[in-house]
Amino acid sequence: MEVKPKSGCETCAHFNAAGLKKLGVNTTSFDHIIALAGNPNTGKSTVFNALTGLRQHTGNWPGKTVTRAEGAFEYNNEKYKLVDLPGTYSLLSTSEDEEVARNFILFGKPTVTVIVVDASRLERNLNLVLQILEITDRAVLCLNLMDEAKRNKIEIDSRSLARDLGIPVVPTSARFNQGIPELIQTISEVASGAIVCKPHRIKNIPKNIEKAVEQLSEEIRKEYPDIPNSRWIAFRLLEGDQHIIELLKSGEFEEFMA
Amino acid sequence: MNTYNPFNALLIFLGICLLGYLFFRPKHGWFWLIKNNSTTTQKVVAEDILKRLYHNENASNYLNINDVVRILKQDEKMVVESIDKMVTLGWVKMEGDIVRLTKSGSDYALRIIRAHRLWERYLADKTGFNKSEWHQRAERKEHELTIDDTDLLAKTLGNPQFDPHGDPIPTISGKMAKLKGVPVSELNTRTIGRIIHIKDKPDIIYKQIMAENIHIGSIIRIVEKSPERIVFHSEGEAFKLAPIVAGNITVSVLEKDVSYEEDILRLNSLKKDEIGKIIGISKEIRGESRRRLLDLGFVKGADVSIDLLNPLGEPKAYLIKGTSIALRNNQASKILIKK
Amino acid sequence: MKQKNIDNIIALSNDLRWQIGDEFHDNLAEGIYADAAEIVKGSVHKPNGNKRLRLDAKIDKVLTSKTWGFPLMFLILAVVLWLTIVGANYPSSMLGNLLLDTIHPALKGFASGIGLPWWLDGFLIDGVYLAVAWVIAVMLPPMAIFFPLFTLLEDFGYLPRVAFNLDHLFKLSGAHGKQALTMSMGFGCNAAGVVATRIIDSPRERLIAIITNNFSLCNGRWPTQILIATIFIGAVAPASMAGIASLGAVIGIAVLGICFMFLVSWALSKTVLKGEVSTFNLELPPYRPPRFWKTIYTSIIDRTLIVLWRAIVFAAPAGALIWLISNIYVGDLSLAAWLIQSLDGFGFLLGLNGVILVAYIVAIPANEIVIPTILMLTVLVTGISGGEGAGVMFELESASATGDILRAGGWTLLTAVNLMLFSLLHNPCSTTIYTIYKETKSTKWTVIASILPVILGFIVTFLVAQIWRLF
Ligand SMILES: Nc1nc2c(ncn2[C@@H]2O[C@H](COP(=O)(O)OP(=O)(O)O)[C@@H](O)[C@H]2O)c(=O)[nH]1
Ligand SMILES: [Mg+2]
Repeated sequence: MEVKPKSGCETCAHFNAAGLKKLGVNTTSFDHIIALAGNPNTGKSTVFNALTGLRQHTGNWPGKTVTRAEGAFEYNNEKYKLVDLPGTYSLLSTSEDEEVARNFILFGKPTVTVIVVDASRLERNLNLVLQILEITDRAVLCLNLMDEAKRNKIEIDSRSLARDLGIPVVPTSARFNQGIPELIQTISEVASGAIVCKPHRIKNIPKNIEKAVEQLSEEIRKEYPDIPNSRWIAFRLLEGDQHIIELLKSGEFEEFMA
Repeated sequence: MNTYNPFNALLIFLGICLLGYLFFRPKHGWFWLIKNNSTTTQKVVAEDILKRLYHNENASNYLNINDVVRILKQDEKMVVESIDKMVTLGWVKMEGDIVRLTKSGSDYALRIIRAHRLWERYLADKTGFNKSEWHQRAERKEHELTIDDTDLLAKTLGNPQFDPHGDPIPTISGKMAKLKGVPVSELNTRTIGRIIHIKDKPDIIYKQIMAENIHIGSIIRIVEKSPERIVFHSEGEAFKLAPIVAGNITVSVLEKDVSYEEDILRLNSLKKDEIGKIIGISKEIRGESRRRLLDLGFVKGADVSIDLLNPLGEPKAYLIKGTSIALRNNQASKILIKK
Repeated sequence: MKQKNIDNIIALSNDLRWQIGDEFHDNLAEGIYADAAEIVKGSVHKPNGNKRLRLDAKIDKVLTSKTWGFPLMFLILAVVLWLTIVGANYPSSMLGNLLLDTIHPALKGFASGIGLPWWLDGFLIDGVYLAVAWVIAVMLPPMAIFFPLFTLLEDFGYLPRVAFNLDHLFKLSGAHGKQALTMSMGFGCNAAGVVATRIIDSPRERLIAIITNNFSLCNGRWPTQILIATIFIGAVAPASMAGIASLGAVIGIAVLGICFMFLVSWALSKTVLKGEVSTFNLELPPYRPPRFWKTIYTSIIDRTLIVLWRAIVFAAPAGALIWLISNIYVGDLSLAAWLIQSLDGFGFLLGLNGVILVAYIVAIPANEIVIPTILMLTVLVTGISGGEGAGVMFELESASATGDILRAGGWTLLTAVNLMLFSLLHNPCSTTIYTIYKETKSTKWTVIASILPVILGFIVTFLVAQIWRLF
């Protein structure tokens, strides 16, 4: 379990350029599903295009992508189906415009979730990252828009970031195709289990809430020993999320969460 | 075709428009009149009587039939008939000419009150109706909701304890949290308290309070008290109210050692080139929009400044956690900051 | 047993929810941000704090300033339209020459060469082929110019600033500033505009944006406006001013559409949509230099494909239908002539005519084919020698030739003006209607969104016609 996550830099040397094939919209019979999540306007569609060779519309305003798009690529003889999601600020809300993204991250069972963040606005992007890390333990942080961060004279230590978050971090400038090979290599390593993540769990919660969450998630773990995210389910139940309650009641819960 | 004449055509058109207006104009249109007339039924009258009796008995007021007729402003014959029927149903009993609620009558009344307050909560959380309309709408809706409807409503709203005016919502079993508050008119100067309830009746006073933009959850500090007026400070502004108006606002008095921050402001009053620190979001912003603001980074302790003014004055763009986010003034006024 | 445990879990969560009170969400959100701040402190170094780039701030100052904000917005709109109208002229006539004047006769010759029966030849070549060719010649060039320009603005980051500048007006009409974005999308295609309304996160404003998106002149309607304005409005102005006059007329119609959008938004928010939730927040992204060539390349290629697809899916069957209704006879009148006659009276009342109304019925699938349908039907009823037979769209290499036919069909300046108005104010095309249904999942709102603009169109053209005739 305790494998230390590698940072992106250690992996770039292993990138096998000959093993990469962009497959466009051909998403039949794949080995892994990769979800592209992140705040609006952080370059998810640009990363998607760089990986699949497609031309998803990109645009410089939050909300450009409102439906989800699918594409595929092949790397070292494994096929990856890639899903470009609409941007979302949070998984905690119930607003309709974010539903597509939220549902896919929660119930789409992606093998790896690639979280695309804006390097010059890391703090606000981490809001979503930390939420996603409560749900899944296979994630890669794509630290995009590095060129803009440099222009703003922002320096980011991606190693210590990877250590704090417990997942690999890959700096990229998707628009200029920088860092994309490293991203592919890292995705494949997380997908194959060569890198095991140990995601950060939210710490700064008031005592009484933490206690309630602990109590509830213990009950949940008793009932479903296999699910990785009992804490998240506890959060949602405390929030009164009708959707999760329905799933629990109807017994479909295991199917979705397993 | 031969009788065509543009002038006549216009006249006919205007005629049709006029007719449409008479039918559908708000409030007095014939269509609405016909629709509303057919709704005041015996059930509604009976339920209204129960509710009034309940509230009055709670305040140790006991009503006779004449009082009921007067308060309800209903046809006397209809009220008398209703009360007779309610006696046979065992909801009320007559003690002399006083009408008293029985146990089952008071349970029924509580159910109506529960429906009313839940519906107000619903209107506040899930719709955009103006505050001043909540009461009227709930007054109609309370008679339409069945017990199951009400329970479902409570569930989807997350079983709230209070309605948006701060009144407790009875539970299914008829339990109701007690309000432990003091009307603002009875506070001494320099008392600090948090507004927990604003009475939504009578209408004129409620509208006045709404016009002042006073809301539940705000912390206030009394600075002046005289028979003519009461002055208190809250969120960077001074409010002057007549005692009768102040009496409709209830606060829970805070401990003496709670320090009242004199310099709390509303975000919309921030000036260009000033930096504020967010203290919190007012309870007035609820549900989805509250969550959205939190997600955008308007959380306690965050620094905020003005990024862009607008050519039309509104919305302004605020720089928060490195991003420029535009908000309209009515929302910004409910975010509290400290300079 | 299992069910009982689950009920226990839910019951426990209800209890705990009461215990921790309604601050739960606030506390959680604050907690997450506190974690984020700690992490960032350890790994990010920002010598300039959270300040935005100097250049960005400067551009924003100008684009949203009191003096320059609005003039710049109109200037940009005018320049984009001007480039589209002027730039589309040349490729349009070239494509027309090629597809209609060269290939069509060749196809005809080929068909008679192999002895195709007249009805199959008419159905396929005069019906299907001509409709498709018309749409390509007329639609493609303006789109190939408009979309790249628009995408460049979009990539640069200008659109959110438009929303920011205009929000107050939207607020006054009870709508959401982001409606400015969905409207702009609607200038390209209403169906796309309707899908884009998902960015509006309050239900009331979203519905308003969906219902009023049709007031953005879409791609299928720009060419109609441009053509009619050139023929009729340009003609009444002195020759040197003709270009400016017709451009002015087209922009006038577009702006009128925006006015109607505000008006209808206001009316809806005051009546049927009174009680829906409303909130507003808008993120203003940093400016980014657009990738010029890549943008131009992808938007031209993508749009071309979409237009071709639409041309084949919608225009081809419509062309076939037109040919059929003009060649199927009921008594001694063709179906088309009979329809036109029965709608003529109503058309006259609106300052239009039966031909135009029939054309709009035929063109419900795609607005692009209104003008070719009108031309073909006009030839049918007037019997002038412009075409090659009933139901045949024919080569019109110049706008003036089109004008001649229309005048022969009894068109006046009033007809032209009202056609422009009606083209702005009529039901959305079938794709958009279907999209509205998918987005709202409500028959009621779909019906309202479809009927409302036509009724407005009837009222407006009716009033214009009566007042025009009074003087
Ligand atoms: N400078 C720079 N711009 C980028 C980069 N990646 C994306 N962009 C731009 O950021 C904007 C938003 O990109 P998009 O992929 O649509 O973001 P999405 O909303 O997350 O899908 C577009 O204008 C892109 O061209 C990058 O690495 N560097
Ligand atoms: Mg995107």
